[in-house]
Amino acid sequence: MNLCKRACLYSIRKKGKTLTLLAFLLVMATLMLTCLSIQSATETANANIKKALLGYFTINAKTLESGIPEDTVSQILDVDGLSGRYTLRSYTYAAYFDADGNLLEINTEGAAQVPEGYENAGRVVANSNSQEDSYFTDGGFEMVEGNPITTEAGSQVLIHEKFAQRNGLSVGDTMLLGNVEDKDKTIPVTVAGIFTNTEEQDSIGMAPSYDLYDNIVFTDLSTASFLLYGTEGTTNVQYGDFYVNDPDELERIMTDVQELDGVDWENCTLTRYDNDYQNAKESLEGLQNIVFIAIAVVSVICFLVLALFLTLRLRGRIHETGVYLAMGISKGSVLLQYLLEVILVAAIALFISFGTSTAISHQIGSSLLSQVTSETYETVDLTGENEAAQEPTEDLGLAEIEVAVSAEDYALVWAFGMVLCVASTALAAYPIMKMKPKSILSQMS
Amino acid sequence: MNLGIRAILYSARKWKKTLLVFCLLLAITTLVLSGLAIADAQEEQAEEVRGTTGASFTVERNLSTGGWASGNGGSYSTQEFITEEMLQEIGSVDGIAGYDAAVVSMPYYYTQSGESIVTEDVNNSFYTYGSLNSEYNELFVSGRFELVEGTHITEDMPNGLILSRDRAEKNGLKLGDKVSGINNPYADDPEVEMELVGIFDVLADKDDEATMYDAATLWDYTDYAFCSYNAMKEMAVNYEDGSKLQEAHFFVEDAAQLDNVIAEVQNISSINWDNFIITANDEVYQNISSALSDTGTLITTLIVVITAVSMVLIILILSMSIRSRKRETGILLAVGIAKPAVILQYVLETLLIAVVAFPLAYLSSKQVAGTLGTLFGKAAENVIVTPEHFMLVAIVGGILLVAAVLVSSISTMRLKPKQILSQME
Repeated sequence: MNLCKRACLYSIRKKGKTLTLLAFLLVMATLMLTCLSIQSATETANANIKKALLGYFTINAKTLESGIPEDTVSQILDVDGLSGRYTLRSYTYAAYFDADGNLLEINTEGAAQVPEGYENAGRVVANSNSQEDSYFTDGGFEMVEGNPITTEAGSQVLIHEKFAQRNGLSVGDTMLLGNVEDKDKTIPVTVAGIFTNTEEQDSIGMAPSYDLYDNIVFTDLSTASFLLYGTEGTTNVQYGDFYVNDPDELERIMTDVQELDGVDWENCTLTRYDNDYQNAKESLEGLQNIVFIAIAVVSVICFLVLALFLTLRLRGRIHETGVYLAMGISKGSVLLQYLLEVILVAAIALFISFGTSTAISHQIGSSLLSQVTSETYETVDLTGENEAAQEPTEDLGLAEIEVAVSAEDYALVWAFGMVLCVASTALAAYPIMKMKPKSILSQMS
Repeated sequence: MNLGIRAILYSARKWKKTLLVFCLLLAITTLVLSGLAIADAQEEQAEEVRGTTGASFTVERNLSTGGWASGNGGSYSTQEFITEEMLQEIGSVDGIAGYDAAVVSMPYYYTQSGESIVTEDVNNSFYTYGSLNSEYNELFVSGRFELVEGTHITEDMPNGLILSRDRAEKNGLKLGDKVSGINNPYADDPEVEMELVGIFDVLADKDDEATMYDAATLWDYTDYAFCSYNAMKEMAVNYEDGSKLQEAHFFVEDAAQLDNVIAEVQNISSINWDNFIITANDEVYQNISSALSDTGTLITTLIVVITAVSMVLIILILSMSIRSRKRETGILLAVGIAKPAVILQYVLETLLIAVVAFPLAYLSSKQVAGTLGTLFGKAAENVIVTPEHFMLVAIVGGILLVAAVLVSSISTMRLKPKQILSQME
C-alpha cells in the first residue's frame, strides 16, 4: 500500500480527527484572512482621516502681471496627490455702472476716506464658489435672494442688499463693471443674487470706502480676469487653494508644482496649510501603530497555537508510528504520510477559508458602510433663539472603505499556512522518528 | 484513590501532554488579553486624535437681548460683558482643556531706554491682543502663528508680552527684555511695564486677500502682539469698556463630548444665559469623525473576531484531548468509578492547568504588545492589560473550559464501559 493511499484512508476512516483538524485549520486561516482584510481597511480609513484633515497649499500670484493662467491651473490639477478639491480666487476693484452706463452710487458713510477715482467703485471678489469665500464663511455674509456664484464663467454678480436698494437693482438686472483706471473698459454682468451681512463690520471708520461691506460685489472668475488682466475667453486667477489627499506629501507636491512651466514661481508665494494634520499627526500614527500591533500579535500567536496543536495531534499517534515501523515501512515514508495528511486537510481548509473570510469581511464591511452613509450630524440649536448656523457636512470625496480579502493576502496565508503545517508536523514527528521501533512499541500507552 | 489525587497524578505523569495543553491555553489567553488591551488602547488613541481637532465653543454677548445706547461714537450695546469670574466658572467645567478671551487694542511699545519699537508701518502701533491664555488664541490655534521662543501668556502672568520674530530682531529685543506699553501716547494714558516672554513666527501668508474682511487687515502679521490681559487692562484704564471681554473661546478635551460640555456649561445657574450666545465649532472633528469611527469599528470587530475564534479553539483542543482518552475512561469506569467522578477528574485536570496558565498569560500579555511594538519600531505605550481584563478573561475562560470538557465527554459518557472498551483502538 503506498503512502498516498494510506494518508487518504487514514483521513477518511478517522473522520472525527480529520474534521477536528479541518475545523482548526479553517478557523485559523479565516482568522488570518479576516485580520489582514481588516488591516487594509483601516489603512483606507486612515487615508480618509488624513484627507479629511484638509491639508492644502495656496498659491499667491498677485504680484504676477498675468496671474496664474488657465493652462497652468489644469497642469497643477494633474499633479499626482491632489484631491481634486480646489478654490480659485481673484480680488480687484471696479467702478459700478447701470446698464446704460450711468454711474451707480456707493455708500460712503463710515469710510475712512473715499480715494480718488473710487467714488463709484468697490471691491470685487471672485471665487470658484462664492459660498466658500471668507466673507461668507468667516465674515458672516449670507444670501438673501438669488443663487451663489458657482461657475467660472457666466458674467454674474452678487450685490449687497443696501447697494441694491440704493440703486434700485434686483435679481436679473444687468449692470456694468468697469476698470477703475480705464473706465471705458467695461463688462456687462447680471445680478444673480443679493447678500447681506449678519455681523457688523468692525473696520468702520478705518477702512476706505471701497472696502465697506455695502460696496463689495462678488463675481465669477472670468469677469474678474477681464477686469484684472483684460483677458477674453480665458481665465487667469490671482490665488489658488489646492487640497491634497495626504498632507504628508504636501512638501513634495508643492515642489512638483513649482517645477511647472508658465508661471514665474520666484515671484509667487506658496503657503502650506496643514495645521489640523500636524496637530493630529502623532495621535494618528499612534492609532495606526495599534492596528499594526494587533495584527502582529494575532499572527504570531496564531502560528504558535497552530504549531502546538499539530504537535499535540501527532503525539497521540506514537502507537501507530510504532506499528508502521514494525511493519517495515521506512521512517521517511511514515513522515511523508503524516505530512500528506496535514497538507490535504490544510488545502481544503484554505480553499474554504476564502469563502468564509470573504463572507465575514463582507458582513463587517456592510455594517460599517451603512454607518458611513446613514451618519447624520445632529445640529443642536445651541443658541436658543438664533438660527442653527450649522451647515450640512460637505462631501469630502472620501474613499469608500472596503473590507475584502485581497489576492495577495490570500496567497500570503496559503504560503505561510503550508510552510507552518509542514514545519510543525516535521518538528513534532522528529522525536518519535528518532526512536527505534522497539522502544516506541514498549513505550506505548 | 480520590479523584483529586488522580487528577494531579495524571497531569504530572503525562507532563508532556499537560505542557502542550498548558502552552495552548497560555497562548490563547495571552491573545485575548492583548486583544482587550488593544481595544482599550484604540479607544484612548481615538480620543487623543479627537482632542487634537481643536473643537471649541465660543461664548459671546447676545446683543439682540441687551439694550442699546448711543454716544459720540455711534450707538453701542449695553448688554453685560463677560466677567473673569464667569470665565473661571466655565473653565472649571469637566472636559474643558483651556480657554482664551482677549481684548484688542493698538498700543505703542518702548524699550527701556525709551526708544519706540518700530513696526513695518510708519505708525508704530501694534495690533495687540490682551490675552488670558494666548496658547488658545485663534491665530495660534489655526496655525497661522507659531510660538518659536519662550512661553505663551497665561492667566497668572500679569505682564507678559509676545512679539513677532521680525519685530524682535529689528528692534534688538530678546526674551526677558523689559518693554513698556502705552495705549495712546498722545493722550494721558499710563505707561505699563511688561516683559518679553515669547516670540512667534508667522506661518500664514498675510498678503492673501482672503483674510481681508476685518479691521485687523490694516496691520501686517509681524506687527501683531500679545500681552497679558492684566497689562492691557492697565493700559486701557482710561477707556471704560475698552478692557471688557466681548467673547471667549473654550477648547474641549474630547471633541465627541462637545455637546455634553456645552450642556453642562449652560447649566451654570450663576450666569444669565439670556445675555450670552454659545456657538459650537468642531468642523475638523466633523470632517474626520466618520473615518475615525470606522477605524474604531474595525479594531473592535477584530478583537471580537479574535475572542470568538479563541473560544472555538479552546473547545476544539479540549475535545480532542478528551476524545483521545476513551480507553482510559473505559478502564476507570470498569474499576467501578462513577461517571461524574471521572468527568470531575477531567474538569479538575483542565482547571489545574488553567490556574497556572491564566496568571502567566496576564504577565506575558503585559510583555507581548510592548515587545512586538518595539520589535517593529512602533510605540505601544497605550496598550495596557488591566486587572479588570484579567478578571473578565479568568471568569469567562474558566466557565468556557468546564463547559468544553463537559460537552466533549458527553459522547463517551453515554456509552457503557463494555462498549467503550470494545471500541478502543
